[in-house]
Amino acid sequence: MDARKEQVRRLALKRRRKLGSLSDEAFEELELAVREDPQRFVDDEEEQAFSLVVQALDRYELSRRDDDLLDDEQFAQKREQRNAALVAACNQALATYDGCVDALTLRLLALDLSQAELFDQLLEVHESLLTNNGSIQIPAAGDAWADVFVRPRLRLQAAVARTGINTSRFRMACDLCTDLLTRAPLDALGARFTCALAMARLEDEKGFDWLDSREGRHGNAWFHLSRAILMYKLGRVPAARRALRGFDQLCTGGAYLLLQPMYVDTYLPDRPAFEPGSFQESMLCIHEADPIIADIPDFAAWTCNQQGFLASAQDFCARNGFEWRNWDE
Amino acid sequence: MAFDPQREDYQRLGLRFARSLSHKDAAQATREFTTFGRRFAQDRDSLPQSDSDRAFHLVVLASKRIDYELPFVDEQRARQIIEDGHRILDEAISLDPYCYDAIRMKSAATNPSFDAFLTFLNERSDEVRDHCEEQRKAIPADEPSERAHLMADIAMRPYLRWVATQAEEALICGRNREALRLAYKALELDPSDMADVRFTAALAYAKLEDESGLQELIALRKMAKRARPSDDAWTLLALMALAFKRHDMEGAGAYLDAILESYPHAAEALIRQNELPEGVFARLAVAPYSEDEIILALSEATVLLQEGIDLQGRGVLSTWLMQEAARKRPQAMLSVLAQQANESQSGR
Repeated sequence: MDARKEQVRRLALKRRRKLGSLSDEAFEELELAVREDPQRFVDDEEEQAFSLVVQALDRYELSRRDDDLLDDEQFAQKREQRNAALVAACNQALATYDGCVDALTLRLLALDLSQAELFDQLLEVHESLLTNNGSIQIPAAGDAWADVFVRPRLRLQAAVARTGINTSRFRMACDLCTDLLTRAPLDALGARFTCALAMARLEDEKGFDWLDSREGRHGNAWFHLSRAILMYKLGRVPAARRALRGFDQLCTGGAYLLLQPMYVDTYLPDRPAFEPGSFQESMLCIHEADPIIADIPDFAAWTCNQQGFLASAQDFCARNGFEWRNWDE
Repeated sequence: MAFDPQREDYQRLGLRFARSLSHKDAAQATREFTTFGRRFAQDRDSLPQSDSDRAFHLVVLASKRIDYELPFVDEQRARQIIEDGHRILDEAISLDPYCYDAIRMKSAATNPSFDAFLTFLNERSDEVRDHCEEQRKAIPADEPSERAHLMADIAMRPYLRWVATQAEEALICGRNREALRLAYKALELDPSDMADVRFTAALAYAKLEDESGLQELIALRKMAKRARPSDDAWTLLALMALAFKRHDMEGAGAYLDAILESYPHAAEALIRQNELPEGVFARLAVAPYSEDEIILALSEATVLLQEGIDLQGRGVLSTWLMQEAARKRPQAMLSVLAQQANESQSGR
């Protein structure tokens, strides 16, 4: 989430509403002025709350900078502290304006609840927004994401869907994602990736195919991996093998990460940005797919038996100075 | 219903004995048949039997040891039982190279993974079917119809067990559509569902979150004659999981109540959720609505219970079920805790 950018946009739009009509050039000027000093343009509780969230997220990101230097215990301690700080900031934001959706979402995510409890609570917020504020409208421009004031709800819905995967509610995750795709077809949040995993788990070939063709069959880590899982589950070995090869060859470190998953911290509030085809992308994908891979007990062993896969993983490991862990030892 | 290996052994020899008496007059035949029960129990070798009957008897012995003794012994005894089991199965196969029950059981123990076992079962399934059908066609035309019917039934059972095992393995491997396809194949073969393969199907539908599929399965059972109602633990666990998955927590709680009602002694089992090894001959034959049955069903429902990310690593539904069962039956929770304290004290 680029909170700063969203804040500038929000404040500029609100100011324009106040000023009446502005030319495009004048609006650009206004945006520049807001970027210089956003706080000066905050003049309601809603933006005051949002501003608190933006600052809290800045502090959160800043505190993560030196994580690599910490040992496990230090990391756990620091993580706990910064999550607690984020929760406190969200509470403060909510005390200022209780309708701040990002604060509601972030607070729940940072509380480190069990996934089951997290799902219950995120869903409750999502449903109460549906009841009180109605469903997310599709604007004339065709994509709800275009409206910066709607984004918090889109983020929340994507978070509910991802938590659905972690709590074995795959149909709900699918439905929440396809709903997002209807309301925000450009899918800035990548709900389609969550959806691809859920459809693979549900062995929903028709659904997956629809999603894949919607994507123009360009694929990415989620699509390659989901296809490999789906075809494996359906017993279509040659197709599964092809998809797995795609995952190995097109997703940096994909094979390595599948066999040696890496820790990924809670998304606050949404999936971190990544370069297409990057190691980061593979890492996020494997992280999100974890419960689905765990449900197919022999899948990892099967991938090791596919020509070149294990070698590719070990080669990546060696080239990048990682340590290969043997699980049986 | 389930397959009771000893009963099947008895039926096989009974049928063969009856056939051996068919040339005698009715009174004499009846008189001789009264000796069957005693001879079956005490002097088996005096009864007429083929190598395949003898092989099946060894299957029964192996099943008794592996399925019914093994889960309850310590490690050292376990090794002995497994060794014995293998030896007995090898002997069965050497007596009757077409003893597919023994072949399947042996493979269950020797294949390195679920996947490898499933592949093995898939590859040889047609061969088993062909052999069983051959046996069925070889039943003499002059057999009285009731006997011929039972003989035909018994001839096909190794194949039925083969397909039911395929379905179960597919479920464990996470190939749920495949599990359903195989379950329906078995149901078509035997609409009375001696293999109780519909239990596997119910779990697969829950895995696929296919409500209407499960409802169709339940409706199908309602139409079957003499069928047990669909208040068995497998169906109720599947329905409970589906409610949980659509976040209908009240509904899930209501199905839990239904389980506690059908199974009066379920609470401790629901809290413990022990995982048992699968029966290698077939799903263990236990009394309907017994505590054993709920334990068995919970163990098979592991695929549903242990899914998802959970702090204790138990699975999301597993934790919910444990907590809810403990809340509804606090006495059972206390008793489980007491037992666990005992077990850890005695170092088990």
